[in-house]
Amino acid sequence: MSSTTEITAPRSRKGVDGWRWAGRIFLAIMLLYTAVPMIWMLLTSIKSGFAAMQFPPQWWPSEPTMASYQKLLDPQNSVGQDFLRFFWNSLFVSTVTTILAVVVAVPAAYAFSRFRFPGNRFLFFAVLLRNMFPAVIFLVPLFILMRWLGLVNTHGSLILTYLTFGLPLAIWLLKGFYDNIPIQLEQAARIDGATRFQAFLLIVTPLSVPGIIATAIYSFIGAWNEYIYAATFLTKNEQLTLPVGIQRFFSENTTDFPGLMAASFMMSVPVVVLFLVLQKYFVRALTEGAVKH
Amino acid sequence: MTSLDGHASDPRKNIFARPSTLRQMWISRADYLYVLPAIVVMLIVIAFPIYYTIELSFFKTPPGLQLRDKIFIGGDNYTAILSSDVFWRVTLNTVIWTLASTLIAFVLGYGCALALHRDFAGRAVLRAILIIPWVISAVAASYIWKWIYHSDFGIIGAMLVQFGFLDRQPNFIDNVHTVLPSLIVVNIWREFPFAMIMIMAGLQTVPDQLLRAARVDGASAWQRFWHVTFPHLRSVSTVTILLLAVANFNSFIIPWIMTGGGPSNASHIWITHIYELAFGRQRWGVAAAYSVLLFLILMVLGYFYVRALSGNDKREQGV
Repeated sequence: MSSTTEITAPRSRKGVDGWRWAGRIFLAIMLLYTAVPMIWMLLTSIKSGFAAMQFPPQWWPSEPTMASYQKLLDPQNSVGQDFLRFFWNSLFVSTVTTILAVVVAVPAAYAFSRFRFPGNRFLFFAVLLRNMFPAVIFLVPLFILMRWLGLVNTHGSLILTYLTFGLPLAIWLLKGFYDNIPIQLEQAARIDGATRFQAFLLIVTPLSVPGIIATAIYSFIGAWNEYIYAATFLTKNEQLTLPVGIQRFFSENTTDFPGLMAASFMMSVPVVVLFLVLQKYFVRALTEGAVKH
Repeated sequence: MTSLDGHASDPRKNIFARPSTLRQMWISRADYLYVLPAIVVMLIVIAFPIYYTIELSFFKTPPGLQLRDKIFIGGDNYTAILSSDVFWRVTLNTVIWTLASTLIAFVLGYGCALALHRDFAGRAVLRAILIIPWVISAVAASYIWKWIYHSDFGIIGAMLVQFGFLDRQPNFIDNVHTVLPSLIVVNIWREFPFAMIMIMAGLQTVPDQLLRAARVDGASAWQRFWHVTFPHLRSVSTVTILLLAVANFNSFIIPWIMTGGGPSNASHIWITHIYELAFGRQRWGVAAAYSVLLFLILMVLGYFYVRALSGNDKREQGV
C-alpha cells in the first residue's frame, strides 16, 4: 500500500491529481452522510425535551444537559432500573453466545479446512446456506420448538438461536484462516508423536487466534444487535434485551426524543468500542480468509 | 491445497483401491466429531423449522397458536396469495428495495475503499468513522433516522426550509411516494461500510508489481484501475454483491421499526409482510405459504450464492 504512495508522489500529473481530488470530495460527502446522523443523535441526547421540540431546531443545544443519561443510569428510578437490566441481559446473552460460537465453530472450521470426509463439501454449503434464510421464516416453528423445549421466556432460547445464525459466517471466516496455516506445521508435530487432536489444539489453535477474535467480534455484535427473535421469544419485561427494551421504552414515551437518542447512544457504545479496538483482526481475517484469489 | 490426510498412516487404508462410501465414512468417523456440534445445532434450529413451515402452509389455522385445531386445505393458501393485489405491491417494493440498496451500497463502498487505499493523514480515523454505522444496531439506526425524518422537528426538513427550498416541513416517511426511497437511504447508510471493508480487504491482494508495471508502461490512473485493479476484485465483488443482496432481501428491522410497512403498504417488503400476517393478524397458514414461496426464490439466489462461493474456493485450491 505505502509503496504505491511513494511512487505516486513524485510523478503527480494532472490526471492523477484530478482523481485524487475526486476521491477527497467523495470521502468528504460520505463522511457527512455517515457522521451527521450520529452527531445529531448526540446533540439531541443532551437537550431537554423542550429544547428538542423546537422549530427551527436548536442546531447547537443552548443549555446542554445530561439529564437523559442520568435518568437512564440511575438505578433508583424505574426507567434506569429497566435500562440497566436490559443492558445486563444483552451483555449476558451476547457473551454466552460468543463463547459457545467459538467453541462450536473452531473444530468445525478446522475439519472443513483439513479433512476430506464424505459429505465434507455438502456439509460446508449446508452451513453457508443457513445465511440465506431470513429469521421470519423460522420464527413460528422455532417458537413452537422453544415452547416444547421449555425455553420460552428464557435467555437460553436466544442463545441457541443466535448460535446458529452466527455460525455460518464464523465457520466460513475461520476455514479461510485455517486454509492459510501451513499443514507442514501439523505434520511435523505428528512426526514428533503428537496426536491429531494435540496438533490441532497445541499447534494450530494458537496460530488462529486472530481468526478466533474476528469470529468472536462477529458473534458478539450479531447477538447484541438482534431484535426479531428477542421480540418474539421474550415477553417478560425483566428479561428483555436492549433492542426490544428500547422499542418498549419508545412506545411508552413517544415524545421523549432526547431519552431515546441517549438510549440509542449507550446501546451503541459497547459494540462500537469493541469493534474499533479489535477491527484490525476483523479486516485481517477477511483478507486472509474470505477474500481469496 | 493439499489435505492433511489424518488417516494416511492408517495401515488398513489402501490408497489404490477406492473404498465404498460407507467404508470411507467409517474410516473417517473421527472427523465427524469435529463438525458434529455444528451439525446438531443446525438440524434442530434449521431442519425442523423448514419441515414445519412447509407442513403448515397447507393448513387453515385458527388464531392464537392453538395449532392442534388446524384444518387441511391443500393449496388454497397459495392461490389466495398469488391472486391478491397486496402480494404484487409488496413484491415490487421488495425488488426495488433489494436492487437499489444493494447496488448503491456496493458502489459507495467500492468508492470509499478506493479513495481510502492511498495513505493520507487521518486515514485510519476516517475509515473507523465510516464503519461505525455498520456496527451499531439496526434498531438504534432506525430510531436515529426516524428522528431525522420527523415530520415536525426533523433536521433534514428543517434545513430544507431554512435554506428556502421548501415552504414547510416535508413528511418523508408518512408519504406513499417518498417512504421507500427514504428507508433505502437508511439501509444504505448501514450497509455501505460492509462493501467498503470487503473491497478494502480485496485491494490488499492486488499485486503492487502489476500496478507499477502498468505505470511504467504509461497507463493512466483510470487504465490502471480498469485493467488491473478491477479484474482483480471481480470475485470479491461478486461475493459482496451476493451477500448484500441476500441481506437486503431478508431485511426486516428498518422498515418494521420505522414505518411498520405503512402508509398503505408502501414500505412493506416480503419479510415485514410475512411477519405482520403471522404475528399481527395471526394467519399462520398464509404466512407459512408466503415463507415457502420465499424459500423457492431464495433457492434460486442460493444457487448463484453457492456457485460464487465455491468458485472462490476452487480458485483458492487451484493456486
